[in-house]
Amino acid sequence: MAQPIIDLKDITVTFHNDQQVLPAVQDVNLAIDSGDVYGIIGYSGAGKSTLVRVINLLQAPTEGRVVVNDQALQDLSPAKLRQARRQVGMIFQHFNLMGSRTVLGNVIYPLLGQKISKQERQAKALRLLKLVGLEAYAQAYPSKLSGGQKQRVAIARALITDPKVLISDEATSALDPKTTASILSLLQRLNQELGLTIVLITHEMQVIKSICHHVAVMEDGQIIERGPVAQVFTAPQEALTLDFVEAATNVRAAIKRITRTIRLSELAANQELIAFKFIGQATKHGVISQLSQEFKVDVNILFANIDQIDGQNVGDMIAVITGDLAAFNPAVAKMASEGVHAQVIDEQVVKGLSD
Amino acid sequence: MAALLPNVLQMKSEFIQATLATLYMTAVSAIIAGVLGLGLGILLVVTQPGGLLSDQPSYQLLDKATNLLRSVPFIILLAVISPLTNYLIGTTVGTTASLVPLVLGIFPFYARQVQNALLDVDQGIVEAAQSMGSSPLAIIFRVYLKEGLPDLIRVSIVTVISLIGLTTMAGAIGAGGLGDIAISIGYARFENDVTLVAMLIILVLVFAVQLAGDWLVKRVTHD
Repeated sequence: MAQPIIDLKDITVTFHNDQQVLPAVQDVNLAIDSGDVYGIIGYSGAGKSTLVRVINLLQAPTEGRVVVNDQALQDLSPAKLRQARRQVGMIFQHFNLMGSRTVLGNVIYPLLGQKISKQERQAKALRLLKLVGLEAYAQAYPSKLSGGQKQRVAIARALITDPKVLISDEATSALDPKTTASILSLLQRLNQELGLTIVLITHEMQVIKSICHHVAVMEDGQIIERGPVAQVFTAPQEALTLDFVEAATNVRAAIKRITRTIRLSELAANQELIAFKFIGQATKHGVISQLSQEFKVDVNILFANIDQIDGQNVGDMIAVITGDLAAFNPAVAKMASEGVHAQVIDEQVVKGLSD
Repeated sequence: MAALLPNVLQMKSEFIQATLATLYMTAVSAIIAGVLGLGLGILLVVTQPGGLLSDQPSYQLLDKATNLLRSVPFIILLAVISPLTNYLIGTTVGTTASLVPLVLGIFPFYARQVQNALLDVDQGIVEAAQSMGSSPLAIIFRVYLKEGLPDLIRVSIVTVISLIGLTTMAGAIGAGGLGDIAISIGYARFENDVTLVAMLIILVLVFAVQLAGDWLVKRVTHD
């Protein structure tokens, strides 16, 4: 296994604010392999912005080691550090384009002061503008562009130094869903075509689901859960992770909606409301139809959805089961190893949702 | 005309002379104070806590010095620094001698305005430039001064207009110029038309500066 391109060891960042000591990141280890798309998710204040700024040392860690591209960044002289930073492109939630420069001027900016002729600079910038689909706007000023276009310019600017890593700091959070999707597919293309390693932070699981291979969940300055996206999505270990996953799959909202029209107390003794999750192979068989035939139960499907997460199928279904529950429930529980997970929805579950 | 402006008509050359003197004082002190103020303003921005070259002791020193210089009333400054003026210029009267107090009086004011203008530059852009490997010097010139240019021009207009006001005060104590004419001739000899015309010329100068500035701001703003 090759050396990870980003290796953060025992990173702690502490802010001092008058008398207060604010720990923003606490003892985080993070290794990201070259070519990966690594998502870091968390609510605002979780420390994810601070953590990614450690990667290019915009934020110096209070403790810990930062190794990027086999270079220990903290050992570098300021001039060498600036050279190293050029290997790590960065895009931001608010784009951070310079209003006083044209689109072309913004993309060229990182090359100013470098030993490269004006013609070469322009040619390279135009090539990148073409890559992001904005070559027609080279002479326009950023104020004339839409949010999605601004982010594309920012991406072109971040790529002009041929970085190996691209950090995306909530780059789609200020964009509408359609534009978000187009920016994400652009990032995915860059990952696939240029082999660019992407580290992106977000508070939306939807973003992670769309393009990430790995994900880390941050809370209170620590990574509380991490792993391949499909694994974290299908078997979240922490309550916060579950929160994000359910927000992305809409299951939680569906349960809320359903329990508003179907009173749990009005279900007969041989009825139950149940939420299924099907993972991988389980999505390819008629699991429910087999079960209903075997146990002679009626299945009234109220919600069903199937999703692809990092190439893996994940299905959700909510249904009212009528029949011999005493035989049905244990049989379903046994299917966990085959990728079928079921949860009977009772008053307690519903109460937990409204919190 | 002669009835309205009995004295002015006989003083045409004095008025031209005085206007030129005012322009000279304003222009030269604006250039010198502009350079000093811009430098001090940039230093205040970069040394402040969280700045590019954050340095608490330097910032405290510069900040206090700026406040101190700014709190001396100009008319008193004229008198207080006359030994310095004498040392630098060789005399304390005349148009050139007035440059010393004019520069000292206006540049801390300008530095504060520059500081505020530069603080309005989006910190996110500065951070983006850092992430792209820009050096502090490159960020000052290619980000702060370029992005802050419209605001810098605006505060420069305000400063030059204040400066025109200060030249008239300097004029009243022997620096020449339109202030001198208005006070030592118009006011002292009860020749009100002289005072009035001196004021009108100053108004024209102020408007000209404002118009030129607004035009420049428009040219460098792209939103």
